[in-house]
Amino acid sequence: MRIGLLTDGGYPYTTGESRLWCDRLVRGLARHEFDIFALSRSAEQEQQGLLALPPHVRQVRTASPWAAPETCHAGRRRAERGYGRRERREFAGHFGRLAGSICTERADGDAFSDGLYGLASLAREHGGLGGELRSETAVRILEAACRAPGANRAVQAARVPDHLAFATLLERALRPLSLDWYGDDALGAVDLCHATSGGRAALPGLLAKRFCGVPLLVTEYGVQLRAQYLANAQLSVPVRALQAAFQRRLAAEVYARAELITPGNTHTRRWQERCGADRAKLRTVYPGMSADRFHAVGEGAYEGEPNTLVWVGRIEPAKDLIALLHAFAEVRKAEPEARLRLIAAPAEGAEAVTYLAHCRALAAQLFPDEAADAHAVGDNPVSFEEIGGPEAPELADAYAAGSVVVLSSVVEGFPISLVEAMFCGRATVSTDTGAVVEVIGGTGLVVPPRNPRALADACVALLRDPERRSRLGAAARARALELFTVEQNLAAFRGIYLELMSHNPVHRENADDSVAPQPFAHPAEAHVPGRWAAPTAARVRSNSPSNGPSWAGGPIAILLQQRLDAAAEGADA
Amino acid sequence: MTDIPSAPAAGAAWGARPKDALAPTPDRSGTGRAATPRRGPADPVRALMHRHRALCERAVDPLEIAAGLEAHGVTDRTAARFRHRDVFSLAEELYARVPRDTETPSATRELAPEPAGWALWALLPGVVCALAVEGVQLTAGGVRLVAGAVGAAAFVVALTLTLRRGPLRAGPRARPAARLCAAWLMAYAIGGDGLLAEAVRGGPDGGWPLDPAAATGLAFAVAPAMWCAHLFSVQARRKLESSRGLAEFAGRSRPLLLATVALFLVGLTACLAIAQLAYGADAFAAAAALGVLLWLARLLAAHGFAGAATKVLAAAASAELLALAFVFAGRLPGCAALGRPVEAVVRTWGAGALPAAVCGAAALALLARAAAVLARASAHCDQ
Repeated sequence: MRIGLLTDGGYPYTTGESRLWCDRLVRGLARHEFDIFALSRSAEQEQQGLLALPPHVRQVRTASPWAAPETCHAGRRRAERGYGRRERREFAGHFGRLAGSICTERADGDAFSDGLYGLASLAREHGGLGGELRSETAVRILEAACRAPGANRAVQAARVPDHLAFATLLERALRPLSLDWYGDDALGAVDLCHATSGGRAALPGLLAKRFCGVPLLVTEYGVQLRAQYLANAQLSVPVRALQAAFQRRLAAEVYARAELITPGNTHTRRWQERCGADRAKLRTVYPGMSADRFHAVGEGAYEGEPNTLVWVGRIEPAKDLIALLHAFAEVRKAEPEARLRLIAAPAEGAEAVTYLAHCRALAAQLFPDEAADAHAVGDNPVSFEEIGGPEAPELADAYAAGSVVVLSSVVEGFPISLVEAMFCGRATVSTDTGAVVEVIGGTGLVVPPRNPRALADACVALLRDPERRSRLGAAARARALELFTVEQNLAAFRGIYLELMSHNPVHRENADDSVAPQPFAHPAEAHVPGRWAAPTAARVRSNSPSNGPSWAGGPIAILLQQRLDAAAEGADA
Repeated sequence: MTDIPSAPAAGAAWGARPKDALAPTPDRSGTGRAATPRRGPADPVRALMHRHRALCERAVDPLEIAAGLEAHGVTDRTAARFRHRDVFSLAEELYARVPRDTETPSATRELAPEPAGWALWALLPGVVCALAVEGVQLTAGGVRLVAGAVGAAAFVVALTLTLRRGPLRAGPRARPAARLCAAWLMAYAIGGDGLLAEAVRGGPDGGWPLDPAAATGLAFAVAPAMWCAHLFSVQARRKLESSRGLAEFAGRSRPLLLATVALFLVGLTACLAIAQLAYGADAFAAAAALGVLLWLARLLAAHGFAGAATKVLAAAASAELLALAFVFAGRLPGCAALGRPVEAVVRTWGAGALPAAVCGAAALALLARAAAVLARASAHCDQ
């Protein structure tokens, strides 16, 4: 089976986001062939080069959507020559629909997707879409759409600089439309597109689905739309409104066309549901983490220093170490022997360094140095250490040092350090942020964020109760091994790939006989006339050309549906 | 193997702290209780509204508020305290209750003050050219040839360095063909008239007169060219900010372009006149037309319309080349008719009339093109 892996500023680049996960996925599913289609983020990222790729990666195609306009288009000649009258009229029609749907407030049927795919097929046939998107025609259409009756109020206030700014942003966002990835040698040849994030990375997948009928799987570990909302904050109000409307509609389109969406946690899942993803298509697949290096600590009998709290993470204001220090002050009042070790990755950036200095100063103020007797040299009950230092040479040693691991963040996505603490079999106290509750699931204590006293209470409760500590730690380790290992992640995707393949075979009429037969390219069910399986919700929306047979609602179909649904629920749980 | 007090799903139970945990501190527990009513007014959302007012006022849809709230650490459990099911519905209430801040205009983007060094550098080509002309005039024979070559090379380097920064930076699609044509046009302005006149007369015999005034005047005109281009871009940007629509901007920017061309023409005329006073020569109209042509071509290229500029420059250059070629071809037996029209023109109006007519026509064509495309807002978006 050939998988087309779509990434945006990610995997094959050595500095890409989520490259670890993608690397494990590609190496772990070595029986499939991978074609990687990567959009890069910046020139620096391209200069850093690509990771070493395993041999079953057949091709890597990269594109630079950030680049200056003239270097990134394949049809450059054409772009300079410009469109003929007929193409220009077509462009105006499609772009008008797209702009109209972006500017209106109400949902307007298929105008967005019609415009998008119209532009895509125009770019596919004639090339040179970028030049046309930057032209005066595009800006004029945009202005007309913003002033049309029914347009959003914020959008109506747009002036000429706003139109120009949004036209530039839109041109940049639609650059994947002009790529030459949609031929039979690229995305047309894969059996399944796997987009590793929503937004721009999924756009080629949408077009591959449209042009070549390739099913699309979207995995989102962070919500792309939410990140875009935060990134838009610098723009002016009308541009922000337009940009947000475009991104929201694109996300909705991706969710509507995807065969299956795999959010990485409930928070992502809620955003996807909010943006119109069908619940039946959502299947949570937790990110997998390597548990091997924590094995010795997790299985060992050593339960850590009985009076020591450990915090592990990267120093930044979102971790709210101030609250942790205040909480520790309370803990010290109840448990005078308690110690706190803050073990951090080396601080990077001016903000982190300032924050670290601030925390050190606060710790020095709150806790004077202490000594055992009048002749000993004292030290502070709070110690700041670095991973790789003499006290904690490895990450696992950091967690092993204490009997209770504390997480005091105010803002958190997927709490990796919490999962690592769970792998180490340590009892944890964490704040209720991000996916913490979902990850810990009752195997540790959770307190509200920005509440040092509650944090202190929970820590004291655990420090005083070794038996409860070990019980919670063992439960946490069992939970983490069940849910957050690399193996479960790979197994989930292996199953999803096979399921999607068998339900959505790509029909290729022009495949000649000289090509060796591809296993799974055409499963036996594909040759049964009509639709053989139950219409699972994942496929109801896909516009398959074949109509369902008369027995589609029959007992076999219902049985199958029940089985599939059970499988889906099992994967969810 | 779950632990009962840990049960985090009980959202309402946060207030109920385990009393036994901090047993010896009843007084603090008391203050904690006392602090609770202060935080629980009848309308709990109002405090949140106040805290995130800026976020709510500038939000364009509820999801933006939700994203901002989550970045501040608000979770679904926090939203439950405000009697909402999740952050999204809390964000929707905030979006509905806080009035949109549409009155304050979008903050005008702070234009980074460009380094103004180019404004003085713009005089460099003129200075280099004057020195070169002086060198050529002071020397003779083979040394003069060397001085001329060195001077020309220095001038090209100075011009390239000058145009690389400032408002006449070539746009993204500049082409080498345009440079070649411009070089030929300048070369013709310096030596073409003399060559044509000699050719019509039956020469040239060894050398022909050059026009140092045109060279120096055009070289000094680089300074007004850059100043005028800068003025045009700054004014256009200002009009862009203050225009309501594209049509209004087009209506206001076209007179601006024409005014800038007129201003440049004044500057160019001054440069040429001073040069002619210094060196004493004629062919004023040809040099002025060429100056305007080159300036417009460069202005168009700087705004991304290099295609039209290159075509017109190529047409003008080939017209001049053809005129020379026809005169020389007319000497071939049987081809006398080829050279006659050019000779007639030169005899009637002088050798300077030909480049003046060619460059003037080309400049008018470019002016028409510029009036069409530089009035568009999209021509100014990269600046």
